[in-house]
Amino acid sequence: MTVSDVTASGTANRGGAQLPVVVRAENVSKRFVIRKEKSLKERIVNFGRSQKHKDDFWALRDVNFEITAGTTLGLVGANGSGKSTLLKVLGGIIEPNDGFVERRGRLAALLELGAGFHPDLTGRENVYLNSSILGLSRKQTDEYFQSIVDFSEIEAFIDTQVKFYSSGMYVRLAFAIAVHVDPDILLVDEVLAVGDEPFQEKCMAKIKEFQQEGRTIILVSHSASQVEDLCDRVLVLSHGNVVFDGGATDGIAALRESFDR
Amino acid sequence: MGSTEIPGNGHELASVAQQRAERLAELPFEVSVSAGPKSVGGFFASIREIAKHRELLDLLIRRELKSRYKDSTLGFLWSLIKPLVQLLIYYVFIGTVLGASRGVPDFAIFVFSGLTLWGLYAETISTGTASIISNGGLIKKVYLPREIFPLASTGSAIFNFLVQMVVLLLAIIVLGQFPVSWNLLYVPVAFVVVLIWGVTFAVVLSALNVFLRDIQYLVEVAMLLLFWASPIVYSWTLVVQSVKTHTWLLDVYLLNPISLAMLAFQRGLWQAGSQTRVLGDPGNLTVVPPVQWPANMDLLLVLATIAGLVALFFAQRIFSRLQGNFAQEI
Ligand SMILES: Nc1ncnc2c1ncn2[C@@H]1O[C@H](COP(=O)(O)OP(=O)(O)OP(=O)(O)O)[C@@H](O)[C@H]1O
Ligand SMILES: [Mg+2]
Repeated sequence: MTVSDVTASGTANRGGAQLPVVVRAENVSKRFVIRKEKSLKERIVNFGRSQKHKDDFWALRDVNFEITAGTTLGLVGANGSGKSTLLKVLGGIIEPNDGFVERRGRLAALLELGAGFHPDLTGRENVYLNSSILGLSRKQTDEYFQSIVDFSEIEAFIDTQVKFYSSGMYVRLAFAIAVHVDPDILLVDEVLAVGDEPFQEKCMAKIKEFQQEGRTIILVSHSASQVEDLCDRVLVLSHGNVVFDGGATDGIAALRESFDR
Repeated sequence: MGSTEIPGNGHELASVAQQRAERLAELPFEVSVSAGPKSVGGFFASIREIAKHRELLDLLIRRELKSRYKDSTLGFLWSLIKPLVQLLIYYVFIGTVLGASRGVPDFAIFVFSGLTLWGLYAETISTGTASIISNGGLIKKVYLPREIFPLASTGSAIFNFLVQMVVLLLAIIVLGQFPVSWNLLYVPVAFVVVLIWGVTFAVVLSALNVFLRDIQYLVEVAMLLLFWASPIVYSWTLVVQSVKTHTWLLDVYLLNPISLAMLAFQRGLWQAGSQTRVLGDPGNLTVVPPVQWPANMDLLLVLATIAGLVALFFAQRIFSRLQGNFAQEI
């Protein structure tokens, strides 16, 4: 109902003017070396051998795309296909071995199970820490603080150390912070699955609001219905390669196909 | 007609989106810093990046101090208790039992100033080395200049140093030994030398520690050894006496910038070292002449500072090469 209205009007608004590219990935490749020994003993014992036998594989291979402002991009693929890795490269958290990522505008990331919280600090202290990392001053955070807490609905626990939070509470706070720092680009990696139903609905509503405000959202999800509902473009990854880039409905079909490979 | 009324809200939103698009179109593209220039320019780019995150650094230092003693009752008093107990041990065992204090007037001031400066160095390096690993949670989730973590450890080490300095200065004043002299200028210089070298090692070791976790433990052992390589609980006079005619050994000894800084620090705060003092009980008096400070100490301090800055430059370059892989290795 309202969903299609929003998407329709959103696309219409965007249709007219030339929209700027906000994220560009060029030939991004990421290789992981699976070398398990981290201690001196293991290194010495396996010296020479480890050089020859060190396993490596490409988690991302020659990924190319551009995302224009206001797009909601769904990133889908089988487990281990490289979605989280790609999101981390986009967020600048890991460096690609080859190629590069360019982006502009403020970026907020919700990667695999929550933001970067410090377990020993309280929710309140973590809010300040995180918004400072995302580029807000203390004064700006003071202004947003109450609405972050209200959104997360964990007022009673805000002065508890986050190590005592449930995973849902953790995600609630992380999501609340991410959406209050006025990001131009929002990266979301499966985190919403942990929230309870009312909170998931609240997040969906927020994401739709973000879409209308022309923010760019990159969403990793295993829920086909969520992707179809939210995304206007889908990228399907399989073994580190982009195997499909296009509309949401076709994307889901391509995803199902990619499982068989 | 209708079209102007009904989408009123929609128009506003559309213009919000449009404004955003226009603003974004103006912005230059950014590539993450570590992928940027790999040369001298990269060093200054990193410094600028860190300067932009001043407020965050401040927050992290507070966090470090707070979380360290978070669940303890005495809280930050612990950061004082440890050096005071150390002082007591060295005073009683080295000073009195082993008799080191016989040749060192105001032995307590001497030892405590040494311990205070050493504490800054040791804490900067040991907590700094562990800093990237212990902040893994943040590093895996958000991008920020990672040098901030060893710097935050340094900040909290500086805080503890300042607390000890207050105690030291109070003790010096109470004992009536406040050195009103130009020698006091050696104190900030010694502080700067120790800081530069401490940060240098903290930065490079924190990065290496991600790939080889043994570094953390190696550092602890190395610090135990290095403690005895600087004149902290024994005096420079003793060093000069024990090398006898092989004076080149003194030059080797002073190659360690921390030993040099330690001497400068003592020269500034330990007034008795620069005076002729009479020690012992009546009937068994010994006259202790002033310490023969190294002749070219000022020049050596300048050189140690310059060498430290060069080392810091290379340390940051190494860090910057390695940091791209931090998130996946932690
Ligand atoms: N730090 C790392 N070191 C080594 N290999 C890694 C590392 N991180 C990810 N990988 C590997 O890279 C591949 C892609 O992982 P990634 O987390 O991107 O998958 P994903 O698409 O997010 O999967 P999922 O749907 O299960 O979340 C996997 O095979 C994984 O084992
Ligand atoms: Mg994943």
